[in-house]
Amino acid sequence: MKAVCWMGKEKMQVHDVPDPKILNPRDAIVRITSTCICGSDLHLYDGFIPTMEQGDILGHEFMGEVIEVGPGVNKQKIKVGDRVVVPFTIACGNCHSCKDQLWSCCDNSNPNAWIAEKMMGYSPSGLFGYTHMLGGYSGGQAQYARVPYADVGPIKIPDGIPDEKVVFLSDIFPTGYMGAENCNIRPGDTIAVWGCGPVAQFAIRSCFMLGAGRVIAIDRVPERLEMARAAGAETLNFDEVDILEALQEMTGNRGPDACMDVVGMEASGHGAMYAYDRAKQLARIETDRPIVLRQAIMACKKGGTISVPGVYGGFVDKIPFGAYMNKGITMKTGQTHMMRYMGPLLERVQRGDIDPSFVISHKLPLDQAPEGYRIFRDKQDRCIKIVLKPWEQQLAA
Amino acid sequence: MQRSSASFDHFSSQLPFGPKTLVLGAAALVAYGLTRRSKTGTALAAAGGLLAYKAARGQSTESSTHAVFLLNASPEQAYKLWRNFKGLPRFMAHLKSVRELDSRRSEWIALGPGQREIRWHAEITDDTPNQRIAWRSLPNSDVYTSGSVEFRSDPQGRGTFVSANVRYGIPGGSVTSGLAALFGKNPEFVVREDLRRFKQLLETGEVPTTRGQTHGPRGIHGHTEQVLFREKTNLPDPQVALAYSHSA
Repeated sequence: MKAVCWMGKEKMQVHDVPDPKILNPRDAIVRITSTCICGSDLHLYDGFIPTMEQGDILGHEFMGEVIEVGPGVNKQKIKVGDRVVVPFTIACGNCHSCKDQLWSCCDNSNPNAWIAEKMMGYSPSGLFGYTHMLGGYSGGQAQYARVPYADVGPIKIPDGIPDEKVVFLSDIFPTGYMGAENCNIRPGDTIAVWGCGPVAQFAIRSCFMLGAGRVIAIDRVPERLEMARAAGAETLNFDEVDILEALQEMTGNRGPDACMDVVGMEASGHGAMYAYDRAKQLARIETDRPIVLRQAIMACKKGGTISVPGVYGGFVDKIPFGAYMNKGITMKTGQTHMMRYMGPLLERVQRGDIDPSFVISHKLPLDQAPEGYRIFRDKQDRCIKIVLKPWEQQLAA
Repeated sequence: MQRSSASFDHFSSQLPFGPKTLVLGAAALVAYGLTRRSKTGTALAAAGGLLAYKAARGQSTESSTHAVFLLNASPEQAYKLWRNFKGLPRFMAHLKSVRELDSRRSEWIALGPGQREIRWHAEITDDTPNQRIAWRSLPNSDVYTSGSVEFRSDPQGRGTFVSANVRYGIPGGSVTSGLAALFGKNPEFVVREDLRRFKQLLETGEVPTTRGQTHGPRGIHGHTEQVLFREKTNLPDPQVALAYSHSA
C-alpha cells in the first residue's frame, strides 16, 4: 500500500510499504477513504518532537471501512463492512483512566510507556503516527491502517453522510469542542482564542454553541481571520495591534473570562521574547515557544480560565507563574478525550447544527502529501485544511 | 559523594539496558570526545570517563528489584492469571516457557542475549490463594532467583495493588549483575515492564505491541534509533495467533 512516511525533518515521502496486519486480538484493519494533515503533524514536520524514527507512517485523522477484525473484537460494537471514523487517541476502555472517561490518558495503550514516563511522570495514551514516545503506532496517512482496541474507539457512520462532514470527528472537531468546554463558559462570557487554524475554527464555533456572548479570535493570516469572522467572532491581527492592550480595550479593562491557546509549541510573535524563544528552541535548550501561553496568562481575567488544546512537547521558559497564581487562574488542558465527544458531535452534524466541511481548503491525492505539508506549514495558497484521498490519482479541487 | 552515588544508581536503574552497555556507551563517549580536540570534546570525554567508572563500579553480583501497580481487577482475577505459570511468558517478555512439573516444582526457560537459553527449576515456597505467591530456584540452576508477588485489595475499592519483589544472581558471583547478564537489560526495568504487561493483559486481554507492524524504510539513522528504543526487542510478540488457538 501507499503511505506517507516521516523520513526526517521537512522530509515527508510517499512509499510503497507492506499492508498492515492484525497483530493483537482486538485489532481491526481499516481501508481508508479520507485522511487529513493535522496542525500537530507540522510539529513533526519541523522536527520539534523527539522520538520520531525514519520510516514512521504519519497521520492520525482518518476514516474508512473495516475490512478485517481480530478474534477478540466485540462484534456487537464493530464488524467487517462498517464505515467508521477512527479517533486519534488509542484507548483500551478497561483501565482506571478509561473508566473515568479520561480516554486520552489510557494507562494501557502505549507500548513504550516507559519513554513517556521519563518525560512526563506517567504516560498518556498511545496515538496514531505520533512519535515512539506515544506508542510508535503506524498512522493513517495511508491506504490501510491497523486500529488497536477496535471495539472502543471507532464510531460507526451511517451511509448518506459524505466523508467531508464527518472525517473531522477523528480529531479537530472534538478537540476544538473540548477546548471550548474547558473554558467553563457561562452564558454571555467573552472568550479570547489565540490561533485561527482548523482546531480554532471549531473551538470558536463550539464557544458559541456553549453559550459564549463574544469570541475574540487572534491570528495574522487574512483568510483564517475571515473564516473566524464568518462564525461571528471579532478578530485581532497580532501583526497590527498589541494583543494585551487590545483585549483590555475590548473588555473594559476586565479581561476575557477565558483564554484559549490553540497554537501550542510553535507560536509566532514579535519582539525580544519571541527572538529569545526562537533562539533557545533552535539551540535545543527549550523545546517549546510558549508565547501564546504567556500572553494568555497576562490577558486573562482575575479568576478566569485558560484552556490549552494547543500541543506542547516538553519544557517552557519564563512562564509568568506569579500572575497565574495571584490572579487565581484555573488552567485546563489535555489531549482530547475523544470517545466522550464523537457521539454527541456526530448527532450535531446529523441535525445540521454545523457542517464541518467549511474548514477544507484543499483536497489532494495521497501522492501529493509532501507538497500538502509544505503549503500547510507555510500557509501558502490560502491553505487551511487538507484532506488526502488515498485511492485517487487526480483530484479536481 | 554518598548521595551522588545513590542518585547515579537510581539513574542507571531507570535505563532499559544493563551496566555492560552503559560502560560501552560511556567508553564511546570518551573516544568521541577525545577525537573532537575542542573544549566541548574534552568535557564530553571527562563526562564519559566518570560515567564509565561509576557504571563499572556499580555492578554487583546480585540484584533485588521491586515494582508495584494498582490495577482494575479483583485480587482473585489477578491471582488466577499469575498462578497459571505456563501463561507467564505472555507478559514476562524474556521467558520462553514455564512447565509445571508437579504442584510445587516448575521448569523455567528464558532467552538471553543471542537467543541463548537459560534454564532453572523453581519451587513454590508460599501459595496463599488470592494473596501471595512466592518462589525460589532450586540448586544446580543456571541462575539463582527468588521472588514473591502479592495481591492486596485497595481499601478505597479502586482495584488491586500487585507488588512484585524479585532477586536475581549468578551462582559463584560473576562480575556482572544477574539479570543484566542474563537478558542484557537492567533488572529493575525488566521487572517493572513485566508487571506493567501483567496489568495490560489482565485489564484488556492483550499486551499492546507494534512489533511486526508495517512501516517505511528505516535507513541507517532509523535503524540506530530502533535499537535504542527497542522497537524490536522490548516489545512482546503479537498475540493474535495465540488468541485464535484459544478460540479454536
